[in-house]
Amino acid sequence: MTDRDADDTAQDLALLEELRTMWVTYDPPPPDLTATMIAAVAAAGLDDEWEMLTLVSDSADGPVAQVRGLSTSRVLYFNAAAGWSLEAEIDGTDVKGQLLDHPGDMDSVEVALETRDGASWTTGVDEVGFFALTATPTGSVRFAVTIGGRVARSRWLDV
Amino acid sequence: MGTMVTMSENRRAEGQLDQSPWNRASEAFIAWRSGDPTAVDELVATMTPVLWHVVRAYGHDRQASEDVIQGTWLGFVRLHQTIEDPKAVASWLITSARRGAAAHARTARRAAPVQDETLHDALPDEEPAEETALRDDEASRLWGAVASVDERCRKLLRVVAFLDRPDYHSLSQDLDMPVGSIGPTRARCLAKVRTALTKGGGR
Repeated sequence: MTDRDADDTAQDLALLEELRTMWVTYDPPPPDLTATMIAAVAAAGLDDEWEMLTLVSDSADGPVAQVRGLSTSRVLYFNAAAGWSLEAEIDGTDVKGQLLDHPGDMDSVEVALETRDGASWTTGVDEVGFFALTATPTGSVRFAVTIGGRVARSRWLDV
Repeated sequence: MGTMVTMSENRRAEGQLDQSPWNRASEAFIAWRSGDPTAVDELVATMTPVLWHVVRAYGHDRQASEDVIQGTWLGFVRLHQTIEDPKAVASWLITSARRGAAAHARTARRAAPVQDETLHDALPDEEPAEETALRDDEASRLWGAVASVDERCRKLLRVVAFLDRPDYHSLSQDLDMPVGSIGPTRARCLAKVRTALTKGGGR
């Protein structure tokens, strides 16, 4: 770049900055626009959407463990917005479960257990959706299910 | 007034001095995807003013602009999972807003077959920005200079002025010009503004 080109570019950027200031000053967004958009996004349900895997039953909350005689394990059941479900059992370092009601190809499915400190354990599922992995989760964990490149995650759970 | 400060407000206060809206937007998007449900408010607060200027570049009045921006955010609600690179969230939103604005302009033209400039002049606004600008001589000369260049230049300059890292590829499709010509076109449009300023008795 020559000095003249550099001057031109600097002049262009300076003029563009002046124009930006002019538009910001003389045609600003209405004062309530941002609040209106935040409300619109909230009303559309986006706040809830990140929790794509909704916890619908947790043995820690009820008598499920006693009924099944799984006194040392924690059984969790999630529903996904897409219609399938995930049942998972955490028993010490053993984590196993099944993906249910997923009509598609199981080859593309991955189930992961993630912790807040960034550790994760990932596995595939067999032809009927069963999975098993060995993990050493501590603190809060969540499940992440990847199907065809899309990830559905649960909220954090304390184990 | 309460003293509680939310995480989002903290992030905004810290980021205002040294962060562009694009960095703030991608950080908020990453935080939201990582499980901070309040971070989406930060994303909306950061990008809505930028979207305003992008949509206004298409000459829409206040109500139409708000409709397009709301449509952009509702599209984001539906499609955010398709944004693979969180750093691209600002570009994604701007592209979506530009396309919404262009589509709205086509609809408006069908409803009332007039030229863009005529339409822009005829649309009611609470206070036309150019009238506001007349209060300030310097701004009025600048505004007049911009108003005197062709519509394509005006549109390009206002969109580019609010792009941090211009996505020239999608911009070229929307403005129907080759990718390689956007930089030179920007320079030519700025030269036209400069010439108009000179003719107007300015610098």
